[in-house]
Amino acid sequence: MVPLHLSHFQLLLLFAVIISLAFGTLGRRDPLERLKYAAWSLAMFVLVAISLGWLMYPFSR
Amino acid sequence: MFDDAIVNKTANDPVSVANAEQAEPTAPIPDAHPQTGYSEKTGSYDLRAIAIAITGWILPGFGHALLKMWGRAVTIFLAVGFLVYLGAGLRGNLFAPGGDDAFARLGYAADLGTGSFYFIARSLEGSGPDVSHADGDYGTRFLATAGVLNLLAALHAYEAARRRKA
Repeated sequence: MVPLHLSHFQLLLLFAVIISLAFGTLGRRDPLERLKYAAWSLAMFVLVAISLGWLMYPFSR
Repeated sequence: MFDDAIVNKTANDPVSVANAEQAEPTAPIPDAHPQTGYSEKTGSYDLRAIAIAITGWILPGFGHALLKMWGRAVTIFLAVGFLVYLGAGLRGNLFAPGGDDAFARLGYAADLGTGSFYFIARSLEGSGPDVSHADGDYGTRFLATAGVLNLLAALHAYEAARRRKA
């Protein structure tokens, strides 16, 4: 298997997309509700991750 | 909700009330729940739900497929499969049994949550894990997340099989 080399942000996005889709599918029944929930989860994953990254930035060095 | 509506409708209907009064009393069924149909004597409902949860754990999405929840089955299969593929491709650490500390044992439990995909990940990682770079660390998290997600899906299938809200 070819080893994958992706940036931190690409990996964050991939993780967020996959988990959001799974959460949306498991958590809601209606297709529109699933889409809304998945989009909300994705936005929260990315937003919280970037916010935490910036919060930790002053202590990184 | 619908059961209540039916009962109220029947209570207000004079024909139904008259028929109910004329009807012979039937013997009660002590071991059956009227709403779920679950039999306490046999416990078959629970056994079926447990079997569905176990099959869902062994093959991600298969529990939902048995319940004919096709969308959920495909999504779980692809999500867990893709996470395992990414985790193995990033050369994440796939924990082995008999770990030295609690972290290794917990990691093994999480990895084992992927069921049969655990062995696929092991076969995909031909050159072994490499956590000296950030990629490998990410891979370890991807593999653990795949396991926990599959366990969540198996629990969801169990709840759905028991006709609880899922």
